[in-house]
Amino acid sequence: MSESLDALELRIAELRAQVRRAVKARDNTLARSLRGDLRRAEQAWDRAVGAGEPESPQEREAPLLPVREQVHQALALLGVPSAVRMIVAVNDAFFSGALRGPQLTSLRRDEERSFRGDPYARPYYLCAALTDRLSPARGLLADSTWEPERRVLGPLSPRVDFLVSAMRVADRLVRMTDPPQGARRLLRRMAQNIPGAVEGLAPADPETTIRAARAELEVHHAADVAQRAEVAARAGRQLSDAERLFGAVALSTLRGAS
Amino acid sequence: MSALTALARLRAIRDGVAQPITTVRHCHVAPQPMVFVPLALSGEAAAPLAAMIGTDPGHPRLLVVPQPRNRDLRFAFTAELAEVVLPYVEGFRKDTETVERRGGEPYERCLEAPQILVPNRQGAAFVGLLGRSTRFRRIDGPYPVHPSVPLLGRWLTYFADRSQQPGSCLLMAATEALGLHWATGQSGLEDANLATLVSWIDPPAGMTGAQAALEAEDPLLWPPAGPVTDPGFDNEVLAPAVHAYEEAPTEHSVERIAQALRTQLDPTWRLMWRAVELLRALPEGTRVRERWETDRGSFTRFTERLAEGGPPQARRDGAVGAAARLAGLERARASYDVQRAYDDPLVMAEYRLTGEAFAGTVTAADPEHTEGEGRSRKLRPLVTVTTADPVRQAPGTVVGSPDRRGHAAEIVEISGDEGVEAVEVVLKIVKGMGRGKSPTPGSVPEIGERVTYTSLTDDFQSSAALPDPELTPWTHGGPPQEYVPSDEDAQEEWS
Amino acid sequence: MNGRLDRLRGPVPSRPHDARAIAALAANPGCARRALLDAAGVDKDRTARHLGFPAPFGQSQFAITRGNSFETVVKENGCAELLRLLRELLKLPVAEVGYQDVESVGAHLRHSHTRALVDRAAREDGPAVFYDHPLLSLRIAGHVCYLEPDVVAFQVEGRFHIVEIKSFSVIDGQAEPRKVAAAARQAAVYVLALRALLADLGHAEERVSHEVVLVCPENFANQPTAALVDVRRQLAVLRRQLTRLTRVDTLLDGLPEGLTFDLAPGQDGVPTRPAGEVAEALSRVPARYAPDCLSTCDMCMFCRDEARESGATDLLGRQVRDELGGVSSVAEALGLAEGTLEPAEGQEEIARLLRLAERLREECLR
Ligand code: SF4
Repeated sequence: MSESLDALELRIAELRAQVRRAVKARDNTLARSLRGDLRRAEQAWDRAVGAGEPESPQEREAPLLPVREQVHQALALLGVPSAVRMIVAVNDAFFSGALRGPQLTSLRRDEERSFRGDPYARPYYLCAALTDRLSPARGLLADSTWEPERRVLGPLSPRVDFLVSAMRVADRLVRMTDPPQGARRLLRRMAQNIPGAVEGLAPADPETTIRAARAELEVHHAADVAQRAEVAARAGRQLSDAERLFGAVALSTLRGAS
Repeated sequence: MSALTALARLRAIRDGVAQPITTVRHCHVAPQPMVFVPLALSGEAAAPLAAMIGTDPGHPRLLVVPQPRNRDLRFAFTAELAEVVLPYVEGFRKDTETVERRGGEPYERCLEAPQILVPNRQGAAFVGLLGRSTRFRRIDGPYPVHPSVPLLGRWLTYFADRSQQPGSCLLMAATEALGLHWATGQSGLEDANLATLVSWIDPPAGMTGAQAALEAEDPLLWPPAGPVTDPGFDNEVLAPAVHAYEEAPTEHSVERIAQALRTQLDPTWRLMWRAVELLRALPEGTRVRERWETDRGSFTRFTERLAEGGPPQARRDGAVGAAARLAGLERARASYDVQRAYDDPLVMAEYRLTGEAFAGTVTAADPEHTEGEGRSRKLRPLVTVTTADPVRQAPGTVVGSPDRRGHAAEIVEISGDEGVEAVEVVLKIVKGMGRGKSPTPGSVPEIGERVTYTSLTDDFQSSAALPDPELTPWTHGGPPQEYVPSDEDAQEEWS
Repeated sequence: MNGRLDRLRGPVPSRPHDARAIAALAANPGCARRALLDAAGVDKDRTARHLGFPAPFGQSQFAITRGNSFETVVKENGCAELLRLLRELLKLPVAEVGYQDVESVGAHLRHSHTRALVDRAAREDGPAVFYDHPLLSLRIAGHVCYLEPDVVAFQVEGRFHIVEIKSFSVIDGQAEPRKVAAAARQAAVYVLALRALLADLGHAEERVSHEVVLVCPENFANQPTAALVDVRRQLAVLRRQLTRLTRVDTLLDGLPEGLTFDLAPGQDGVPTRPAGEVAEALSRVPARYAPDCLSTCDMCMFCRDEARESGATDLLGRQVRDELGGVSSVAEALGLAEGTLEPAEGQEEIARLLRLAERLREECLR
């Protein structure tokens, strides 16, 4: 980058000189064409300089953690397998705010490659959640260190996990003295989908949200635990280590219950 | 749609050019209208993308939202739009006239009023949506906007509401204004395309309307008149440009988007002014002025309402309000139809076709004819009109005439066979001939005169002057309940 | 009969219909050309292109992105938004939150998996309330079409509901009627397919509700709102049209034996048959062009051109045709109006009206 900048600067200086010479020699045609070249070189320099500049200054401090660490951080807060959008939303509300959805698209694949290449070399892997067919659930990320029951899904699990994550977000808010606006908005968005958690347009109260979510959770909890235990046991019996983390490919799900 | 218009459309096909369906212009064209061509982002309810706007054909102002999904940029756009619209609209406020009313307080009325022209009905609807999404915004609190934004919202809402009113010309869709005066050789559905409509009305030299319209359907030559954009343009041009802006929001990338959108707006901008010229070239109908006066009155009242600090228009009418509004619109529609018929023999011809009107020549007259004896003796001139039109009215029907204001007659007798120039209608004049022993000169048609009579009456005019809902007297339930916008309205997302 | 339909299409795979295409079948039920092309599974879009009359349809990627992102909002977090809406709308009990992503099996198994899940649900021991990415099927004129409704919801009351997610906005309780109507037509196709499945499994068809759940963004935000839409009328129209398609043999009857719309694609897939020949073949099957075709049928530009060339009053739309008392040619109608043509039997009334209209126009424009 800096090299081409240097080269451009050299060229600009040269062109300036040539223009001056041409003007002196009253060679107007040449001068005009040289001016054109100069303009273009200057524009190129502008662009090169702009591209090298750091992102427009962020209000928040620049993120210090690599992407996978940031995702891990958000997952740790949520405590359940989560979709990219939710992970980004949590990062936005509580952490750096620098995470972008597209950065996460190949994450799971990279992690899987790394695991297959050198299993258990890292303290944790960002892995998949498994469906009851033992295939990877679409778009969800989980933490490999979680117990297997937490990383598999029964039919009730999406709802259960949503309620749990809402409780955890609320709990985090309770423990902050001055929670940021973004975090309150996130809670509000989640709370409005939980019966009894929020009234009209009022901001969501974390304690109320936790109570309401727990009340609904009671209804699903036992059945969900049983279903998840069954899937986890099946995964333990049928899958290889890598498959247990990243899911069986579609065909091999034939081995599952049908 | 009547057989007359259908016939005009057939002619348009044969002659290769649109055919007039009126003899005069039935809409007002302001000396300095504001043309507004808005574009919206595909798939979004009311995400403005760009607009070309202005009162000078040579100097449109181009407004652009470089990333239409960005809320702040959207509000910046509306603030810019306000910079153009508000001075134009408010410029008409200062010069007023005092209007005397029989049996009422005199009131003030602006001498002129703004007129906004959009390409089509969807454009007018978009004005309403833009108004709806901005009028409840607050200039303080959690999501503050520029003070001009909510004001613009109220104006846009006013214009959009008013455009529902038959005959109102404060906000007009060009396709509708043109379609009111010309029949093309394509379907009504296709007439909603401004480029093809203008091609039919005014094809370039050496081309038939059909050929020109076919060419005008090519979105590369004539981009759609909005608010929806051409999908090809979206995918090939706009999306990469917006993407480049997201990567690097520089002046350069904004300029690239602006240039791209200019290519989509420019052709429509020129079409709009051609439409204005086409309309201006038509002679104005008599009652256009009266209707424009009503528009001016309505505009004046709305400026007053704003000055008094009234709340923004409600989200939607209450049940009662909606019903009243509907009834009002129906009355206005009927009145507007009659007015046009009275102004325009070609429109009246539609009623002659159905037997609700007839035109003919006076073949006999008895202007001194009286009825009754002694004190109850009344002047009742008789005239006989011979017509070739089918007359479907029964004796006893009271008819009016576009030839004489305040004139009314009663059908006494109909004789002869329709179809051959032989139907004779004997009429008794009951109104408009004065109170004397003999009729006021000129009030009774003379032998040999061409006259038109119709059972349509224009005494709707009084109802056209019905007060706006906000002026409803307490005897009629008072003004509708004021809508109090809530925090929810003000903070509503616009994503 | 299928042999004949295959010949009409030529040696290319039959073009599958999606719900939108099937819904559009009902848009112009009177058109034999369309019925035949669809029954034979002809790729109309390609045909129109080859003829030099591409349809003016296209979708903006902005609209597509918006549609997808709204669907995500509705379905994310275990259908949290959808649950809220259905709890309000259908009084869905709190316990009913099961979710099953049918796409968790390979693509080739999705249909049978959907079938199995629906069967279990219908026998009241189903594991889920929401079936995401189900795959239904419907037989259209002998061909199986696969259809993907957005979501099928199953409520404990024993009824299935089709959930249709659309990204057009509902503003202050009002949406564009045209778009609602299109959504209803499309949802009706899913209802029909799901009913067919239930019937096939030996369950009562009526367990699929004729009320579909339409989910749209409310006002200007991305927040979903839902309404029940009754699609009984759309179902009736669709049924009628589909029966017509299966009776396509009557349409075939009058046609020459060797007739084909084959484009004869070469090795590279580029059609080699002269466009004129294809156009000629198409003209053997009567069309019924109406301006509505411009938004519903890939053949519209071709048929419009044909109507224009033949001077058909269809060009101007149904309203005009009605005013002309059904006179189908421009020249004929003008001839009657101008008195250069003697009215045929039964045309006296409309001829009189047209002549009067002509006289009035002349008189006023003199
Ligand atoms: S476009 Fe042609 S084929 Fe299609 S429905 Fe209309 S008339 Fe029939």
